[in-house]
Amino acid sequence: MEVERTTATAATAGAGGSSGEMAVDHTAGPVSAEKPRFGALMPSEMSGGRPQFRKVPVPQHRFAPLKRCWMEIYAPVYEHMKIDIRMNLKARRVELKTRQDTPDVSNLQKCADFVHAFMLGFDIADAVALLRLDDLYVDSFEIKDVKTLRGEHLSRAIGRLSGKGGKTKYAIENSTRTRIAIADTKIHILGSFVNIKVARDSLCSLILGSPAGKVYSKLRAVSARLAE
Amino acid sequence: MAMDLDEPLDAAAVAEMGEAALQRLCDADPALFLSPSADLAAAARAASRHIYSSLAPLSPAQPPPFPSLLAGPAFDAEQIWSQIELLDRPLLPHLRRQLRRLEQQPPSQPQPPLEKPAVAEREQSEEEDGEGSESEELKEEEEEEELEETDDVEEMGDDYEEEEELDGRERKGVEDKFLKIDEMAEFLDRGDEEEYGGGAKRGEKKAKKNWMESDDEDEEDEDGDEDDEDEDQLDLEDFEDDDEEAEGAGEIMYKDFFEKGHKKEAKKKDGYTKKVQFKDEAHEIEVDGSEDDDDGNDEQVLSTHEKERLKMRAKIEQMEKANLDPSTWTMRGEVTSSNRPKNSALEVDLDFEHNVRPAPVITEEVTASLEEMIKKRIAEGQFDDVEKPSIVPSKAPKEHKELDESKSKKGLAELYEDDYAQKAGLAPAPLSISDELKKEGSALFKRICLKLDALSHFHFAPKPVIEDMSVQANVPALAMEEIAPVAVSDAAMLAPEEIFEGKGDIKEEGELTQAERKRRRANKKRKYAGSHKERPASLQKD
Repeated sequence: MEVERTTATAATAGAGGSSGEMAVDHTAGPVSAEKPRFGALMPSEMSGGRPQFRKVPVPQHRFAPLKRCWMEIYAPVYEHMKIDIRMNLKARRVELKTRQDTPDVSNLQKCADFVHAFMLGFDIADAVALLRLDDLYVDSFEIKDVKTLRGEHLSRAIGRLSGKGGKTKYAIENSTRTRIAIADTKIHILGSFVNIKVARDSLCSLILGSPAGKVYSKLRAVSARLAE
Repeated sequence: MAMDLDEPLDAAAVAEMGEAALQRLCDADPALFLSPSADLAAAARAASRHIYSSLAPLSPAQPPPFPSLLAGPAFDAEQIWSQIELLDRPLLPHLRRQLRRLEQQPPSQPQPPLEKPAVAEREQSEEEDGEGSESEELKEEEEEEELEETDDVEEMGDDYEEEEELDGRERKGVEDKFLKIDEMAEFLDRGDEEEYGGGAKRGEKKAKKNWMESDDEDEEDEDGDEDDEDEDQLDLEDFEDDDEEAEGAGEIMYKDFFEKGHKKEAKKKDGYTKKVQFKDEAHEIEVDGSEDDDDGNDEQVLSTHEKERLKMRAKIEQMEKANLDPSTWTMRGEVTSSNRPKNSALEVDLDFEHNVRPAPVITEEVTASLEEMIKKRIAEGQFDDVEKPSIVPSKAPKEHKELDESKSKKGLAELYEDDYAQKAGLAPAPLSISDELKKEGSALFKRICLKLDALSHFHFAPKPVIEDMSVQANVPALAMEEIAPVAVSDAAMLAPEEIFEGKGDIKEEGELTQAERKRRRANKKRKYAGSHKERPASLQKD
């Protein structure tokens, strides 16, 4: 009798789709039932066994680089992440879909982030880190969020951010272990949370007008601390 | 009543008239003299004529230039006065001499009665302020009497005589036939002299004089000096003569009063005139030449004790004065240059502590000793060189990570990969900056060593093998190996197989088989067709 009751309750729980605590059947005797143990759901089983999709639009200027680097994107997504990926040329977007054997729910999201990072302007080698590490994020902001600049001042600010031949940007990247993508007035930073913060502070100070040397000195101090 | 001056020839009658005139002048109210009155003038002339005639026989120049005074109404005061002066000029010193002689001789009669006419005349003469000539004459007469009284031998000015006149006028009211104030004064003075040694009377007179002579500036100085002298001498004599005078006061003997007293008076006179100074050099020592005899008498009178006391007193005075005076600048405390005379510090031996070691005197021995020391030091090699203190680093030098401004070669993923590998221990630790620097340093050093070795052919060392991908240029090997070519070698650097471009077994035309020949031709055709495919259609040969 007890066994029957437990199986019945298990069935109801399974049908419910959520493994929470089962309702205690007061009709059962003073002996408490064992908590059933459920395995983690496969992504395919989630949302009622239907596959999940992600669609990443492709901006105009990233079309050609996408075509060039398609295989580098495709290989890790399809083989390592086990996510179906295809390019919808008509709609100009990259579509991702879970398969049956996708191991983890988060894979789809990671791949979507990876592709999205590429669309923003990051290199494949940098964007791949998103697939590998959990705690990497992409943070975006605009110059006008920091300070309202118009015309020449804006151009100068952008120039200040990159530096001559991009050396300021690379200096920030190397010292904080982030990757920075400057797209006209939009700035994207890829890295861990703390590093993003440091890079963002440096970039903001550059936008606000401090000279590169000042930013460097601050970076040196911070990077030394980060390296420890 | 008008006096007929020229007519009466009878001497007695004239004398009478003169006396009467004098009497009338005396009796007249002093206020009348302020305004000119012919009556009084006539009386004055008569009186002066009378006095002149009485003095004329006494004159040393006999007969006198004017036997009688010409004092008619035609003559004015100046003329009358000049006549009087003519008579008086030689007369006064003569009278003085007479008086001195009188003084030296013991008097046969007591003196007071002689003074009476003088007193009377003095009283008469007081009132004649208006008439200058007569008052002068009378003053001169009085002076003779006064010399006896006051012991004053010096020339007195007019003011002194005026003072005397005024004094006489004051005392006049108290006097009657029994009491003569002058006599009393004289008696008192004598008593004072006996007690205090003779300076008291003089002091009195001097005090009076000072009081009266506030107007006359010239005489003040003199009097001041004289007063000081007198007071000093008074003090001296206080100490000295106390014992004697005490005795004298108790038991007055005849000799004390008349003989010794006179001597004392004379002594006092002499002492007074001596003006011996025990003070500074400002005052001169004046000794009256005529009284040298008296000096000897003075010293004989002073006992040795008195002399000692005199000296002691003098010393005391001197020391007291020195104490009171401001001391010399050397005795004062802190003296700056403004407080002392110029260049006065040069004249004095100043003693102060020298905080500076005196400069060493360089002698031959000093030089020799120095040179010996130097030689010894050189021989030993012990030089006191300043050694730089080696800074011991407290901690290891901090490695500063240079900011890399170039694009990082590794991607972000690779970075994290390496990080993880390092942590896991799979990959070796990356070269730190110091290691890289060391590598760079060692590479540079090897390059230098090679160059140095090449300079000397004897010791040939081949180029250090740096395992690195580098392009080998096909340059004659000689250039690579030897800087200075000893022998010419045309051996090339690269091996034949490295030069050879191609693959497989190379066969010449003669060695080829038919099939191989065909194969070659077919390949050639294929290549040609491929390269010429893009040629325009017009140019293509059909």
